Amino acid sequence: MESNSTTKDRELIISRTLNAPVELVWEVWTKPEHIANWWGPNGFTNTITKMDVTPGGEFHLVMHGPDGTDYINESVFKEVIPLKKIVYAHVSSPSFTATINFEAQGEQTLITWHMLFESAEEFIHVVKTYGADKGLRQNVEKLEVYLTSAKAKNKA
Amino acid sequence: MKARRDVYQAIADPTRRAIISMIASQPYNVNAIAEKFDISRQAISLQLKILTDCGLVKIKQQGRERLCEAQLDKLSEVSAFVDQYRQHWESKLDALETYLEKLKKERHGK
Repeated sequence: MESNSTTKDRELIISRTLNAPVELVWEVWTKPEHIANWWGPNGFTNTITKMDVTPGGEFHLVMHGPDGTDYINESVFKEVIPLKKIVYAHVSSPSFTATINFEAQGEQTLITWHMLFESAEEFIHVVKTYGADKGLRQNVEKLEVYLTSAKAKNKA
Repeated sequence: MKARRDVYQAIADPTRRAIISMIASQPYNVNAIAEKFDISRQAISLQLKILTDCGLVKIKQQGRERLCEAQLDKLSEVSAFVDQYRQHWESKLDALETYLEKLKKERHGK
């Protein structure tokens, strides 16, 4: 995982200890029927049209937004080390390289997700665009809360 | 068309970022900044103008000197957006976590 002072202004690193053995985490990450169940923001559904988890293999995923907008995500796997590491390059905009490390810790797995953008400019652009969309997303969230309470009322 | 002037535009350029980090710890006068960079005095003035327009730099006249001071609180706006974006990826891990729990229960139940 490349991370040093020269990449600091164009990267994002998140990690989490997952309460599942590495074999299961790996399976859930590498099988399209599983990925469809958790990838993408809340309220989105996913269609995976291609997923070849081998170096050079393609990974095509369409996220369907709650408002009907489709977001095409095309990536190419660069490095695949079973139960240890996945590197993929996101080819469609925004361009970034993601490195996912899996570290077995008994019955748990430490997953570290590192996103490296091509340039600080690109990173700033993504962050800014994302911020601009936030208002819209909050509306969607409000609608969801509303629908849930409406459903509860109907049941009562 | 008038260019938008905001903090993102300010930090979108490497020279401007270098100027900000130079004056972040202490104010420098315009000449001292110009000397540090291998570009024309005019180009530096333009970058400083953009930085002032974006609210990241304040230029104070001190006697015959023009002192440039960084206004760093503006940058927190950017870090707030970075945090939001980080949340977006964190929520992916939340979903992964929830899904794993569900899967474990299903398989365990078999």
